[in-house]
Amino acid sequence: MKSNPNEMNRRDFLKAGSIAVGALAVVGAGTFVLDKNAAEAMPREDFLRPPGAIDEEDFLYGCIKCGLCVQICPVDAIKLAGADEGLGYGTPYIAPRIQACDFSCDALQCVETCPTAVLDFRPFKEEGVRAVEKAAAEPGADLSTVNPFEVQKVAMKEAVLMGKAHVNRNTCLAHKKEGFKGNPRGDDFEGLLRSPYKNAASASPLKARDYDREICDLCIIECPIGEKAIIQRRSRSGKKLIPHVLDGCTGCGVCQMVCPTAEPSIVVEPI
Amino acid sequence: MASDYFSNAKKKSPLTSKTVEQMPHSLAGLSFKAWRDSRKKNHKMRNIRWAVLLFMNLLFVFSFWLDLSVLEGSLSGSRLLGFYLMDPFNSLQLLAISSTTGYMAMLTMNFWIGLFTILIFWFILGGRSFCSWMCPYHILAEWAEKVHNYLVNKKKIKEHQYHIGLRFVFLVGFVLLAVLTKNLVFENLNLVGIISKGMIYGPSLLLLWLLAIILFEVFVSRRFWCRYVCPIGATYSMVGKYSPLAVKFDYDKCGYCLECQKVCLVPHELWFVKRGKATQVTHFVDSDCTRCGLCVDVCPGHALTFAVKGASSIL
Repeated sequence: MKSNPNEMNRRDFLKAGSIAVGALAVVGAGTFVLDKNAAEAMPREDFLRPPGAIDEEDFLYGCIKCGLCVQICPVDAIKLAGADEGLGYGTPYIAPRIQACDFSCDALQCVETCPTAVLDFRPFKEEGVRAVEKAAAEPGADLSTVNPFEVQKVAMKEAVLMGKAHVNRNTCLAHKKEGFKGNPRGDDFEGLLRSPYKNAASASPLKARDYDREICDLCIIECPIGEKAIIQRRSRSGKKLIPHVLDGCTGCGVCQMVCPTAEPSIVVEPI
Repeated sequence: MASDYFSNAKKKSPLTSKTVEQMPHSLAGLSFKAWRDSRKKNHKMRNIRWAVLLFMNLLFVFSFWLDLSVLEGSLSGSRLLGFYLMDPFNSLQLLAISSTTGYMAMLTMNFWIGLFTILIFWFILGGRSFCSWMCPYHILAEWAEKVHNYLVNKKKIKEHQYHIGLRFVFLVGFVLLAVLTKNLVFENLNLVGIISKGMIYGPSLLLLWLLAIILFEVFVSRRFWCRYVCPIGATYSMVGKYSPLAVKFDYDKCGYCLECQKVCLVPHELWFVKRGKATQVTHFVDSDCTRCGLCVDVCPGHALTFAVKGASSIL
């Protein structure tokens, strides 16, 4: 190699260029291999895409890995994947058992902040507008008292679909007719939660809660969506009061986070 | 016209070289050596630049950690006081993929605002000035370069240089790979993003890749990544091609000492400092220049300065 780049000629360029093309080919081949593995590895229950995520195939290239969604989340539910995720490196995910999306932000701020709309706000916006129109058109609706934001945010929240919760009958305390007393995840658990029934302005640590339930129903009382997503009902035999997941479930994963069994007995399966 | 300063400058016939009497050291009444060493070691531009670079990168970190919300995101894409900013090479890959898949929803208004803001901003400030004033890898590479040069001077290792056009092979190659694999391939190798995200969101395994490149730069080829690979730098190089802000060369003050080329990251851009090469009394350094100011700091004759093209004729 010559010492001064000014003296390099076409031959030097072709020589180094062919090595560069070779290196690019290796990178390309590696990407194809990782791409195949990535497709097989998804979906996973500890790796939910944030609300509004578009198809995984488009998501992978549309996400520019800036982390704006991570920064805006008030409960730090969204994290960036490490290099062990292969091509998913730097993409956002939610591990609900560690910190679920509890809708503390009220208005899907991660979706609104995404610069490339891989968290796509359009369906939520449409849903919100439709709900406000519906509320206004309701017979007897007093437009001076209808708060469009309240209506809109509930509709947007309910339009989220990250996954669906499934109950494991073998380990669920309610299925065993057991109650629950105390703190579900221990004193070291850092997760935050904004309980729907408390009408709190922001989320607070789960470890500060103290429950006392005759039959365990934490997943039901803490569900941010409420009775459209999960209800308590009598089992077919009529002997048990068990949680029952409905179509309104958004897959936010709060139930998975609060479940007191060692392995969560209610788990969100990604869609 | 500003473009006259560089577009055809190299092809013109060179100016007659200075005689001994015309050399700046003779005019100052010094020997060449005394003149060359007359400028006290100073790192003014470098210190300002490092301060800006560290401040901006720490602003990213603290915007997140302390919830300052001033400069959110990372160098891959960010928001400055609410205004979006996009990495131009990321955007280029995304545009290339979107135009082949036909899924255009990602090209939101915020995307375009971010892309054009960045392009205009760095066009004004000189394109590759991003590299030396903002890129966190640049500062690491500067230190690695010091070690490398020390080893070369001690004859412990040999210098390896390659053709400077390689960056455009990588630029085109990475865009093609992005289209073929439908993935932002380069983002997984992007040292700028890896360091920026490592500082803000915590380190990842890809820091090993960073380490590998730094070791390669220390022991094999000086400034390998910045000079020959990084397509972000190549993109900014194109952005800054006609930028008004550049390093200006004043032939009358030059003593052919070549101190500037020794410190320069892109010495091929300082081709006119050699005896018998300059074709005009004023040259502007071309688009590969990162406006780092190292040459401005060392030039004994103050022949190299930051300047705005055409400003002398306007003011």
